[in-house]
Amino acid sequence: MKIVVAEDEFLIADLLVVSLEEAGHEVHDAGHGAAALKLVRNFVPDLVITDFMMPLMTGLELAEAMKADSALQRIPVILVTGAQGSIARSRNDLFDRVFDKPYKMDQLLLAVAELGGSGNRS
Amino acid sequence: MTQSLPRFSTGVAGLDTVFGGGFVEGASYIVQGQPGAGKTILGNQIAFATAAAGKKVLYVTLLAETHDRLFQSLSTLSFFEKAELGTNISYISVFQTLSKEGLGAVVSLLRKETKRQGASLIVFDGLLNARDRAETDLDVKTFVAEVQSQAAFVGCTVLFLTSAGVQDDSPEHTMVDGVLELHEELVGVRTVRRLRARKSRGSAALGGYHQYEIADDGIRVFPRIEAAFHAPSIEDKPDPRPLRSGISGFDEITNGGLPRGSITLLIGPSGCGKTSFGINFLSAATKEEPGLHFGFYESPDRLLLKAKALGLDLSGHVERGEVEILWQPLTENLIDKMAYRLLDAVSARGVKRLFLDSFGGFERAAVHRPRMVEFFAALTNELRAMGVTTVGTWELRDLFAPEVAAPGPEISSLLDNLIMMRQVEIRSEYKRALSVLKIRDQSFQAAPQEVYIDGHGLAIKGPFEPATGISTGLAKPLEA
Repeated sequence: MKIVVAEDEFLIADLLVVSLEEAGHEVHDAGHGAAALKLVRNFVPDLVITDFMMPLMTGLELAEAMKADSALQRIPVILVTGAQGSIARSRNDLFDRVFDKPYKMDQLLLAVAELGGSGNRS
Repeated sequence: MTQSLPRFSTGVAGLDTVFGGGFVEGASYIVQGQPGAGKTILGNQIAFATAAAGKKVLYVTLLAETHDRLFQSLSTLSFFEKAELGTNISYISVFQTLSKEGLGAVVSLLRKETKRQGASLIVFDGLLNARDRAETDLDVKTFVAEVQSQAAFVGCTVLFLTSAGVQDDSPEHTMVDGVLELHEELVGVRTVRRLRARKSRGSAALGGYHQYEIADDGIRVFPRIEAAFHAPSIEDKPDPRPLRSGISGFDEITNGGLPRGSITLLIGPSGCGKTSFGINFLSAATKEEPGLHFGFYESPDRLLLKAKALGLDLSGHVERGEVEILWQPLTENLIDKMAYRLLDAVSARGVKRLFLDSFGGFERAAVHRPRMVEFFAALTNELRAMGVTTVGTWELRDLFAPEVAAPGPEISSLLDNLIMMRQVEIRSEYKRALSVLKIRDQSFQAAPQEVYIDGHGLAIKGPFEPATGISTGLAKPLEA
């Protein structure tokens, strides 16, 4: 699967990218929302995993931008957040899954497999 | 005509005083300290105070613990408000931008994000990391200068947090408007935290070390008393009327009692009756002239028990709010914190009668003993200006001695009145003596008095029988 990861914290991004690649996925990552949106437009991935608080464009704004774009609106989005869990859950129109940090990697990988497999938003 | 620059309250108790009124809006500061000194707590505390004032904050990290770990540890502090996260305070990391694109790209990102958020404060946590990535000293200087000028342009204040190891003449230091150093040091066996405003452009900072502590509500700073109270905070208007002492017989030999607003040193060895003197003094407190017992020895309950044994109703005074008892055990204390505790308690209730047991309790807490004269000068001047009649004790080391030594000459000259108490051995019995040695600007009977406990606490019976050596405690009667 092609996955785009948007995460400003290096330690978390690194761990996520490595874990996803080990699970056999092709991963492109960006350090902020604006760069992530560019990656999404370039690669049209099967899935996007994004943080909430990021410079230049938050995870919320990224998901909204994707939804507004007909070419991107079907791509499922997993949100991973340190503090915005409740805000994220109130927007189930934007996020297919919400994980609170710290999360268990195997549970995230399970969600990735479930969501990415169909290639379409449920 | 001088202008004053618009200020930005740090929201940290005591820190605004150190910086002459707070940070200057749009200025940049470095907060420097070893890991564990409290930089991150300070940065966050200022961030949350700023957010609470309705302003936006950008908290920028490089390579540090993850944000969720940070939130977890901050959640134990009372200033932490989860609702501010991602709303008024945005936590972002720029490490990837730094490592992939360099310092210049970080500057650009910060400029855009500051504008996007409308931020009034940037906390940049990790300047040392930026230093590692820089090719030369010039890069860091440029980085700080650019971040600073762009922030200043939009009136945004910047705090750069960095670990120790940054030298006095580091380029970063020359660019910023102020440098705050946090120190956590071992003095003897104690950990002492103190900070220093090393530089403060645009306003006079309170120089030198000021102690601070980290507790459940975050950081509290205690500006050094003799610096903060260089002169008393209010005008000293001496009141000529004497204040009755509460000890039967005392007012008769002193022309009415103790001069109002004066500081009395009550010296004597252990067991001579100093505590009893204090209880009597405070038992004369009223609603109009409230009393305060500020002590280092007996707990409040023990003190009340002692009062009861003396036949005095101190509990009644306490219950009616006429007397307050504040106890600080003689363990490891912060001297300035205690001074503020005392002054705050005095001003909160308009205290007019203060019994301080003892002056020595402050001295024991001092990390740097040579400051004691200036410390007591500032403290007593402030108490005088507040119109508080203070009786403070000082322990004489020897129970019985051929020589009597008062505390050092500098301390004695700071005080207005001097009273000595002793247990005196005469004719195979022990009697108590009280001598008024000095009362400023008032006449008094100079002879030693005999003191006894009369069921209403301490009372003066009359002049001590003629004898030599009363002051030493070993008296020989003078045969008629």
